[in-house]
Amino acid sequence: MLTLLRDLRRLRRTIGLPPPGSGRSLAIRHVDAGSCNGCEHELTQLASPYYDLQRFGLGIVASPRHADVLLVAGAVTSRMREPLLIAYEAMPEPRRVVALGDCALGCNLLGSAEDLIGPVEAILPVDLRIPGCPPTPDAIAEALLGLIDRGSAETPTTARSSSTSGAS
Amino acid sequence: MTTPAAFSSYRERVAAALADGSRFAGLHATSGGALIRTLLADPDGATRLETIAPEDGRVPSIVDLAPAAGWDEREAHDLQGVRFAGHEPLRPLADHDPALERWVRVRGGDVYQLAVGPIHAGIIESGHFRFHLVGDRILHLDAKLFYKHRGLERAAEGKTLDEGLPYVSRACAACNVANGVAYANACEESLGLLPTAELRRARTILLELERTWSHLNDIAAICAGVSLAAGNNSFAALTERARRLNAVLTGHRFLFHTIRVGGSELMLDADHVRAAREEVASIAAAARRGWRELLFNSSFQDRLPEIGVVTAAHADQMGAVGPGARAAGLAQDLRANSPLLSYEGFSAAVPERAAGDVQARLEQRALELWQTFALLDRLLDDPIRPASAEPGGRERPIGVGRVESPRGATSCVVERRGDRIERLRLRTGSYANWPIVAFAATDNLLPDFPLINKSFELCYACVDR
Repeated sequence: MLTLLRDLRRLRRTIGLPPPGSGRSLAIRHVDAGSCNGCEHELTQLASPYYDLQRFGLGIVASPRHADVLLVAGAVTSRMREPLLIAYEAMPEPRRVVALGDCALGCNLLGSAEDLIGPVEAILPVDLRIPGCPPTPDAIAEALLGLIDRGSAETPTTARSSSTSGAS
Repeated sequence: MTTPAAFSSYRERVAAALADGSRFAGLHATSGGALIRTLLADPDGATRLETIAPEDGRVPSIVDLAPAAGWDEREAHDLQGVRFAGHEPLRPLADHDPALERWVRVRGGDVYQLAVGPIHAGIIESGHFRFHLVGDRILHLDAKLFYKHRGLERAAEGKTLDEGLPYVSRACAACNVANGVAYANACEESLGLLPTAELRRARTILLELERTWSHLNDIAAICAGVSLAAGNNSFAALTERARRLNAVLTGHRFLFHTIRVGGSELMLDADHVRAAREEVASIAAAARRGWRELLFNSSFQDRLPEIGVVTAAHADQMGAVGPGARAAGLAQDLRANSPLLSYEGFSAAVPERAAGDVQARLEQRALELWQTFALLDRLLDDPIRPASAEPGGRERPIGVGRVESPRGATSCVVERRGDRIERLRLRTGSYANWPIVAFAATDNLLPDFPLINKSFELCYACVDR
């Protein structure tokens, strides 16, 4: 039995999984607030075998009610303002907002003033900025993994009572 | 002043062109709604614009002649305020005023509505689907897009032709090369320029590199649509390899900033070109292996036939383009008639079983990938040097560019005054095909909708603009 456990630990090391017991995870809800679809294509690629982000505890969840992080791509259009705010309001505390890509950061925006609200920080408090047009999967992964470390340092590791009971 | 005679002659001209085999390729309002222009494309690739001036803000609708004009007319109404006589009810498309919201009325026992989006459960662009159902059976689907409307075309007005390029290329990451080339071709036609052979070759290579990752991604997406993780993973990995090749060749995984009006700065020496050709061959070999595994996975294959059927007659009538149209048996591909690009000897591929269902659309992606790999193998035979377009035609105020994007025929109309854009219209393959997706969903089961949707894999970004 002990031999088996030792072998499993060795296997874990050789295939590059995070060390056991770190308990790190981040549930992410993505919102496209008006992107060119580039950020979405790179985000999708994070699940591919080249990156396989789930092994680090990062997962995309179907509802903002299950999410720790709201990952917003694109400059916020006037038509996406309200859906974005509704998604944010639905999230349990503590929550983080990540602005993904140059448009979400307000860099080099294209469009008509009456159709664009502006960068994500115009309507939501942004905790993390991931620049790039679009950011590469490497850059997204690195930034989100950094957020896990930051998150655990800033907030106590108490269980979040609202995260499961809030699901519809 | 437009007279009723001018109205009927406009409809007659459009009807005659359609009867002669032309296809509707776009309609837009220009000069603040003072003119409506209808783009018609002949089978030989030639295009023409039929123009009509509204009277009291009204023009006759052509939606009865060309149902594909439905979205164009709704858009021109919402964004430029033109009314279309005979298009009733003219439901909002881009206008999201809740007071105007009208879903198609579906009546009967046990009919209910299901609202999905604009925010979806996965990593998907924003858009709203309103399903009208009995049980799991879809009776009707209303797609409400334009959540991502950024007003790109309007913002481009008054910009120089060079400055206008980002407004079409950044409209959509997945179609940025196709959109860029369509725009460059339109500008060059207006300026009386013709691309040289070297420029045609560089642009064709970039277009086919875009199609490579896009079609690989589509196959991965269809596998994901039925939760086949093995197929999804193998084609997602190939998508990644194709994007990495793009980055090596052009410095950008999505080939951004590679298209320019009047020329190309792409430069690749013999070693780079040789290495690229080898990597394309290696991706092609892996794609063929992955494809064979999908073919012999019977539980996967059993899920695909007779789902989301679009017959050839419907595809033709509704103006379907791209892989979706070809999978229904319409052998239409702009690449077969593209003198401004390097597609000599190309002919449209159509699957043997052109049933217009999910299986046919999946097979169509594979057929087109084999064509694309062969094209790249032929074109990557020589170093790529900077190139430019040369004077070769007469200048005109309006230019039209048409390019076969991974999702179908994309048309770009540029109206210019001097070196500035007066009006820009981009009608992408996705724009043409969204009404087809909604149509294809009818009479299918709701759980099959993601699969039907993935089998078209359209963009929202370049529709909403």
